[in-house]
Amino acid sequence: MKQIGYYPGYSTLAQKDFWDDATRAVVLKRLEPPAPLRFFGPGEAERLEAVVNQILPQDDRPAERRIAIVPELDKRLYEHRGPGYRYADMPPDGEAYRMGLRAIEEIAQHLFGAEFLYLRNRERDQVLFTLHDGEPPAAKAIFARMSVKHFWLMLVNDVAEVYYAHPWAWDEIGFGGPAYPRGYMRLERGEPEPWEKPEQRYEWAAPEDSLSGECRPLPGSHL
Amino acid sequence: MKCYREEEAVDYCIVGVGSAGAVLLQRLARAGFKVVGLEAGPFWDTERDWVSDEAGSHQLYWTDLRITGGSDPIALGENNSGRGVGGGSVHWAAFVPRLHPSDFRTYTEDGVGCDWPISYKDLKPYYELIEREMPAAGPAWFTWGDPHGYPYGPHPMGGVGDTLVRGCTKLGIRVCAGGPVAILSGSRADRPHCIYRGFCIQGCKVGAKQSTLISHVPDAIAHGAEIRDRSMVARIHLGPNRRVNAVTYFDRDGREHVQRARAIIVCGYAIETPRLLFNSACPGFEQGLANSSGLLGHYLMVQAGNVVAGRFPDLVRLYKAPPAHAMTEEFYETDPKRDFARGFAVQTVGPLPIAFAKQMAKAKGAWGWGLREVMMDYNHWSTLGVLGEILPAYDNKIELAEEKDDFGLPVAHVTFSLHENDHKMIRFAVKKVEEILLAAGAKEVVEEQRYAHLVGAARMGTRPENSIVDGFCRTHDIANLFICDGSVFPTQGSANPGLTIQALAARTADYLNQQGEAIFTSSHVSREKPPVRRDLSPPVTFGSGVPRV
Repeated sequence: MKQIGYYPGYSTLAQKDFWDDATRAVVLKRLEPPAPLRFFGPGEAERLEAVVNQILPQDDRPAERRIAIVPELDKRLYEHRGPGYRYADMPPDGEAYRMGLRAIEEIAQHLFGAEFLYLRNRERDQVLFTLHDGEPPAAKAIFARMSVKHFWLMLVNDVAEVYYAHPWAWDEIGFGGPAYPRGYMRLERGEPEPWEKPEQRYEWAAPEDSLSGECRPLPGSHL
Repeated sequence: MKCYREEEAVDYCIVGVGSAGAVLLQRLARAGFKVVGLEAGPFWDTERDWVSDEAGSHQLYWTDLRITGGSDPIALGENNSGRGVGGGSVHWAAFVPRLHPSDFRTYTEDGVGCDWPISYKDLKPYYELIEREMPAAGPAWFTWGDPHGYPYGPHPMGGVGDTLVRGCTKLGIRVCAGGPVAILSGSRADRPHCIYRGFCIQGCKVGAKQSTLISHVPDAIAHGAEIRDRSMVARIHLGPNRRVNAVTYFDRDGREHVQRARAIIVCGYAIETPRLLFNSACPGFEQGLANSSGLLGHYLMVQAGNVVAGRFPDLVRLYKAPPAHAMTEEFYETDPKRDFARGFAVQTVGPLPIAFAKQMAKAKGAWGWGLREVMMDYNHWSTLGVLGEILPAYDNKIELAEEKDDFGLPVAHVTFSLHENDHKMIRFAVKKVEEILLAAGAKEVVEEQRYAHLVGAARMGTRPENSIVDGFCRTHDIANLFICDGSVFPTQGSANPGLTIQALAARTADYLNQQGEAIFTSSHVSREKPPVRRDLSPPVTFGSGVPRV
């Protein structure tokens, strides 16, 4: 399988000898096999995995190059690590995840009469789009205690944070990665450093059986 | 490092060793006072503790729980709250514009906000001092507000600044490139110059970006200041004669200590400062220490920090160069042709992949395959930030929540809502930045609504009825209790607050020096302006750098 992204052959990890020790240790840790889950039970983990696969699908990546996301979410919640604030209309993060998973189940049942796990790709996207649009058709009791908008953004943010922290994701988007102590020398006009690759674009399209390829503004957006 | 005994009353106990606290600690130590700084976070070993990595840098931020509400709630944590010696200056982007002279008198000039008890002239010598102590890099002639130049030359441009300069030039908007930022464009003493790696807000491992950790803390320690890190202050004690005399704090192992002091300066920033004073309520100050006015916690402000992102056909590679490297203040002042008071600045921002992904989740509503696709175009986007003046409002505030932290102390509950002038300013500003990006050649423009920089909540003012502290950061209620940090701002302008916070600290230090023993013994409050003490600058700073006055 060809490397995903417009920078074929680009590898941030190939530069790891030029990174400082502390940074190298932190980044290389992300390549280690994921730790066992401690916060989510097996049933929850399976459902969360299915949700996360919609929010950050990786079907186009070779199996050995998929970035494990659920274990990192589990770790954050088990260790009670938060961003430093909680919205007044939200329960504590861990509780919000559990409630959110139940809500997604209720919406799946309401729309399709089946568990989220047994839905087809497009149906799963449809369920999640109801959260994105801030109009879940079910789980009223849950969303009386938790803001749809804040739950949705927490979920997308948390997932994006794990994926785009990984050096394989940096290769995909052409990000330079850690750059201390060497730094950059070509700052303007998007010029590549000698170890970076020039861009080679190709036609990119989301799989036909999905809905999330088309971005839809969140409610209340201005521009 | 000097080590004081707890039962020994030091002259000054400083709560929070961040932007203001470190400057005070350094100057008071240099002037010969016995000073102890208590800092809730760690004392950084920058080479070992900091990483050139986004997700690995969370420890730099205040990540203990806070509750945030209101109709336009503020994101906290990494967005605006530091922790550890150096405080917010460790993870700021280091834009260092001054406030404009008009910022100190918005009520008189525009009938909005309120006037400061001090003027631009009072702060100007301290702006000049601190710009040299940082030292700041920027153009030889900065044209807005009170025009001035910078000691170090401007930085080379990155891709984001390039789009700002091109767009502004097309539209005839004056713009400035390469600063002003507190990042070295040439090396100085043991600090190397910038390497343009773009990780400013993850802590500058290079040592090119100023933080008080590297600019003021070493000199403070060399002159006998003690810093106790991982020490969370829980309460300030009120003694006889309405004077404070000690603080209770928890050390790194959770053990409780009491440090006696002859005067106390709270430098905890806009949330932790009011929280500590509320948590120090006692007989005589039932609604919070130094809060006879009832205004403590009120008039909390953030600046509008909307990010406007434009996608360009050519590569930008926005991760290179410091996020802060070009700006315009052309829209800073009130313009009678617009339907709102005050204004905004436009500045470069350079989000790294995680921050950019989160921005796209909000700005484009991207998730799933759409998020993957937009992220594959990461290198084609340029991001400009509005930095807009939100006016102070009584109902934007800090209170104590029901919930408690690990020490059993009630956490802060923040309430924030935008008002009419703010909405109008933000819509106008976002439209203007959109024009700039389109003029520069962007093919698609999107906006993420967000806020930057907390200030206010313990405002300075002329009288005990309208404010918490006076123009020298002394609480009206308690003669030996001071508050010196961003929380004393009565209004905020459209300038990043870091420079002003450090300048206020330098001025307060001069005041304390001039008052000498009177601070500890007398309840008489002098309003005499102190002489500017250049000999208190850290070595090799004042007057160093590219000679230019």
